[in-house]
Order: sequence, then structure tokens, then C-alpha cells
Amino acid sequence: MRRDWWHAYVLAALVSVIVATGTFVGYRNAAFEHRELARAKHAASSVAQGLLPMDNVVAAYLVSPAVQSREYEFLRERSVTEADGSQRRLGGTGAHAFDKRIYDAANTFDKSGAFVELIIDSDYVIAAQPARGGVAVAITTPPKGPEPFPWLVVLGLVVMGSLVCAAGTLVGGGARPLGLALGASGLAVPTFLWSGLAMALVVIGCSMLIAWADWRGSLRRAGREFRKGGIAYAFLTPTAAAMLVLVGIPFVVGLGLGFYNNNHGEWTFVGLDNFIQILSGDGRSLSDPLNFWFTLGVTVAWTAVNVVLHVSIGVGLALVLRQRWLKGRHGFRMLLILPWAIPNYITALIWKGMFQFEYGAINSVLSTVGLDKVNWFSEWSTSFASNVATNTWLGFPFMMVVALGALENIPGDMYEAAEVDGASPWQRFHHITIPHLMPAMLPALALGAIWTFNMFNVIYLVSDGRPGGGTDILVTEAYRWAFERGERYGLAAAYATIIFLILILWTVIGSRLAKKDEE
Amino acid sequence: MNRRAPKPLSQGLVYLGISMLTVVVLYPVMVILKKAFEPGRNFATSVSPVPTEFSLEHFENLLTSANSSGDLLFLRYAWNSALVALATTVVGLFLACTAAYALSRFRFAGRRFGIATFLAVQMFPGTLLLMPLYVILHKLGLLNSLLGLVLVYATTAIPFCVWTLKGYFDSLPKELEEAARLDGASSFKIFYMIMLPLAKPGLAVTGLFSFMTAWNEFILASTFLTDDSAYTLPVLLKSSVGQYSADWGLFAAGAILTSLPVMALFYFLQRYLVGGLTAGSVKG
Repeated sequence: MRRDWWHAYVLAALVSVIVATGTFVGYRNAAFEHRELARAKHAASSVAQGLLPMDNVVAAYLVSPAVQSREYEFLRERSVTEADGSQRRLGGTGAHAFDKRIYDAANTFDKSGAFVELIIDSDYVIAAQPARGGVAVAITTPPKGPEPFPWLVVLGLVVMGSLVCAAGTLVGGGARPLGLALGASGLAVPTFLWSGLAMALVVIGCSMLIAWADWRGSLRRAGREFRKGGIAYAFLTPTAAAMLVLVGIPFVVGLGLGFYNNNHGEWTFVGLDNFIQILSGDGRSLSDPLNFWFTLGVTVAWTAVNVVLHVSIGVGLALVLRQRWLKGRHGFRMLLILPWAIPNYITALIWKGMFQFEYGAINSVLSTVGLDKVNWFSEWSTSFASNVATNTWLGFPFMMVVALGALENIPGDMYEAAEVDGASPWQRFHHITIPHLMPAMLPALALGAIWTFNMFNVIYLVSDGRPGGGTDILVTEAYRWAFERGERYGLAAAYATIIFLILILWTVIGSRLAKKDEE
Repeated sequence: MNRRAPKPLSQGLVYLGISMLTVVVLYPVMVILKKAFEPGRNFATSVSPVPTEFSLEHFENLLTSANSSGDLLFLRYAWNSALVALATTVVGLFLACTAAYALSRFRFAGRRFGIATFLAVQMFPGTLLLMPLYVILHKLGLLNSLLGLVLVYATTAIPFCVWTLKGYFDSLPKELEEAARLDGASSFKIFYMIMLPLAKPGLAVTGLFSFMTAWNEFILASTFLTDDSAYTLPVLLKSSVGQYSADWGLFAAGAILTSLPVMALFYFLQRYLVGGLTAGSVKG
């Protein structure tokens, strides 16, 4: 009998307990919420029928429709019927603690009908139901908390499971994995009772997987690896945990949201509909700015034009700035990297002002030299050009600094030797300068391309997509679906997923090309 | 590096070209400086970058404008910005330094995966996570709070700090650690008694960069903060030149006060920046 049987069992039991606990908490909270929502709804309905509210109700009133205040024109006030039949105005001096909530709830009712919801960060549930002469609003509080966690059941099953597992190991052979899988699957029974077959199968599946891994010996190998790198893992744990929570969860949620549709806070599963809607262009023609392929085209053009301009201006300036005979070259360098130092949202806002029609600096330069003022954001071409001008202004210094750094690392005697050998200036450039520049410029180029592809601030703040969303790139388009076109979070999440896939594809192709280059 | 200077004519052309480019680079900045010291709300009333009238009214308006409860708005937002940026930096550095050390010094299964993950997360923009983060923070009731914003900023600050600090640890010599190990020091002791003190300059530079990034962040702040008591400076600046009422004088004054500290930092740090940014792609 191998004595390490309990290692695998501890792992399997831990996984089972985690899955079962998660299931239990989900089931319990859903049941609790269901019960409390029903209670609040019932309380509001009783008020609507003119009955006295029941127990655990903190406030319940029949609220009148909103009328304009006599004192202040901009105020709309409501009044409530007290238990003794008298009327009281909501809010104002002598307001009760829940007046604001009740007033808001009545407004929500007028806008979107009857509702019931938990009040975030409190123990209260609020419900609004239609009633004669206004709306019935009730705020309730739960009489008792949610069910406690069934420690005894879980502990009992884990201990029983360990006996089964130990027995299996004693018998030996095929009984060992069987005992392990059976023993760790015990928690599938309460899980099944809480939420049905799916989660129970997850528990059984995990147990079987671990039993199988134990049988194959992969567990012991992984354990050895883990002990070997033990300290490294200890050092990594805090960061890994933080990343898992801060990046991993939002990432997975984002992937998931792409398959749902949001309608005023109600999420419905729609499968691949969002993706199909985006990729098919949703019946819009290819020249429609809301068509995905149009936006993709704009994004690609935007990235290509900018990167070409950044690199050519940056490298050109670097070639000039490294000339020893140039007086004040350090001064020029300091001045020319200024755009990089300014926060880019400020740059974008400044350029938005520069391109204004009436008081913009560019139009006043144009009219000084006798040209007509241009309405920069009314045409696609001029609007796109405005964005490009802004982004070129703020983007070339990075390329310039990288190129300058690479050029300064070229030993001067290489040029001298080449000159002695009779190489022409072009040959020296082609055979010395370019090969030294490339290793520094390629990563800078990759980085610059990704930055530009995602340059939200310039597009959003300078042209703001004008005209008609035509100059939007993928990231601003995704943003607008979420926050400016009716909270279509699902569609926006699908958009983000597609952008993510494009970036991954790009990086993979890029690194393949770089590897090929090295060979 | 050519030691022979070209002919005076081509020299002159180079000087002319680079001076013109410098003018183009400086012009928008000059216009903003002019606007800050010139009365009036409109962006530019003349081509010249020199103010015709001089006044400090925009700065005065900016620094004295208050909300209904008497809080000075600019100072409040500057405080919010500083608080968020500082908290982000502390969280980023604190959570990143151990991982950066592990990735730099230990060889273990999953190391390459870890490096690739940090690199990928650092490269991909926060806007991609914006939507799910919005939904999650809404569920948690953390929208509109500076704590929520710090958590959001940490998503990019942590990988950034891991990556830059790893580069710094890579550049430190291994002899000291080996000597300490021979003397029987534990790994953790080596880390906080020897490596952390050695890495102070790297920690400082990384921290300053992550401070700058958070201080300059606009879109996440303007999406997550809707209540004007929680605004940060970028949200204030954006709203000062909104679609319907734009006060470019106020914006110019605010832009100068907001960007001067980070610009000074940038000039101080720029030689570290290029190495840190491109090293990742070279070594990755």
C-alpha cells in the first residue's frame, strides 16, 4: 500500500467541498432573494388593496402621482396616505427616513412599471405595485437571515469518503482509484439536492479526474515539480491571486457577457447572436459607419497611416539629431519630446480646440494666409486627417527616442572604416545604419501599432467619431455600444472579445515572423 | 557620426527644417499657455501665440470655484487624483515585487506561462476590460467610488510593475544572494533584507511611472465616476470643454496645473522609460 493515498484524497475532497460550497451559497442566496422579493411584493399589493401592512415592513404607503410644487416650479412632489388616512408630503422638513427611497421608487414605477428589488448595501427590499390613486410602495426587511451553512453534513460526508478511499487503497489495484473517486463524490448528493444534476456531475467529474490523475502518477510528478519550485510559488501567490481576482474574473465575465443581451438590467442568453450581428454587419451596407467591417477598415487604415508617419518622422529626426555638427541638438531633442510628456488626453483636447471651426487656431492660420475656413469634422477625410495629425504629433517622439538610442550605440569607427574602404553614403546607410536600427525599431513598431490600434483618447476626444461615427475605431465603437447607444452591454462585450481575438492573432503572427527573421 | 560636416547650404536647410518642425511641435503648447493667461472663453482669437492682455483670472476661477457645500473643486479633484494614483502605485508595487523577483531568479514549471500572461495583460488595453469591470463594480456598488477606481487601475498597474521590476531584478548581480544563501539565510530573508534594498532605485522609477499612468488616466475615470464629488482631474478637464459650454481659458489653466508635475517627472525619468518599454518585447 502506497502511503500517500491521502494526498490525492485531500485534493479531491477540497475540490468537492469548494464546488459544493459555491453551489450551496448560490442556491441559498437565490432562495433567500426569491422569498424576500415575494414578501415585499406581497406587502405592496396589500397596501394597494387597502389592507394593513403585515410584519417586517419598515415603510409602506400609497403614494400619489407627482404634481408640480406650488413653491418651486422645478420641483415635483408626491404625498402619501398615512395609516390614519391623513395626507403627508414626502420629503421636506420632518421627512421620514425612507421618504427619498419611496419617492424614487414611485418615479421608477412611473417610468418602467411595477418592480421589486433588493436595495444594494442594506437589508431592505423595496417593491412598487399599481394601486388606485397612485402607486403602492413597500419596504420590507427579512425576519431572519439566510440558511446557515450545513457544516455537519459536509464534514460527515468528507470523513465517510476518507474511509471509502482508505478501504479502496487497502484492497489495492483498480480499487484504489475507484475508492478515491467514490469517496470524494459523496458531496455530489447534497449538491444534487440543492441545484440539480449539473453541479452534482461537476463534483463527480472532478473526483474522477483526480482519481485518474492519481492512478497515472501525474499527481506525484506535479507534486515533485511543485516542491522543487516551492519558494517561487510562495513568492508568486499574492500577485497571482490579485491578478486572478482583478483581471481573470473580469476577463471571464467579459467573455461570458458576449453571449447575453442586456435589456434594462435583465440579461437573457442569446448564444452567438451578438457575434453574428457584428460579423454579418447586421444588414447594414459596407459603407455604413456602424458596419463592423467598415470600422475594421478604418482601424487598419488608422493604424497603418499613423505607424508609417511615426516611424518615418521619428527615424528621420533621429538621423538629423545625431549629427555632431548640429548645434543645439540636445536642446532640439528636449523640445521635440515635449508631446510625449503631455498627458495624451490633454493633447487630444488641445487639438480638438485647434480644429474648432469658429475659434480654432488652425482655421485662424488658414484665414490669415487668405484661405477659407474648413469645417474639419463635417467630412470623413478631413476628420480622419485631424485625428491623424493629433496622433502623429503625440506619437513620433517615442520612435525618435528609440531610434536615437539605437543610432548612438553604433560605434563611430565602423563608419570610418567603411569610408576608408570607399563606401558611398547610401551604402553606409544601407549596410551599417539600417541593420543597427532594425533590432530596436521592430519591437517599438509592434508596441506602437498596438498603442495606435487602441488609441481611444484621440478618436474619442478629437473627432468623437464625427461625421456620424465614420471615424470611430474598434475600441471606441465597442465603448459606444455599451455607454452611448442604449446600454447594449452584451453586444459591446462581444465586440471586445472580437478585438481581443484580433490582437491575439496579430501578436502570434508577429512573433512567428520575428522568429523566422531570427533564423 | 560623420566627422566632416556637410556644405553650409545643406546645413542651412537642415536647420530650417528642424526649426520648422520644432515650431509645429511647440505651437499648440504656446497657444494653450497664451490661453491660460489671456481673458476670454474662446480657444484662439488670433494666430499669434503671445497674449495681448495678461490676466490670472482663469487660474483664479479654477482655484476658487466651489460646489454648493463650499468644497474647492480643483483642490478636491487634485486630492482625488493624487489619492487614487498613490493607492494604485502602492498596491501595484506591493503585489508586484515578490512576483517580479520570483520570475527573475527562480526556474520553475509555469514560469514561461507566467511571463507571457503578464506581458499579454500589460499590452492589452484597459478599455477591453472596461465593460465587464463596469458590470461587476455596478453589482458590488463600487461605481462612483475611488476605491473601485483603484481596483480598476490595479488591473494594469500590477502587470506593468511586475514587468518593469523583473527587468530591474534581472540587472542586479547574483553574488550577494549566493553569499547570503551560503550563510544560511532563508529565501524570504534574502528577498527583503538584500534584494529589496538593492532594488530601491528600480522600485522608485517603477512607482513613479505607475503614478503617472494613473494620474493621466481619463476614460475609465470618466466612465466609472458619475458623481461630481468623486471626479479626478482628467474628468474635470474634459467637462470644462464639453459640447455645449466650453471654457477654454479654464481648461488651459487646469491643463497647465495638471500636467506640469507629471511633465517634470517625465523629463526626469524619460531615459528609463524607453528601456523598460521595449525590453519586454525583446526578451519576451
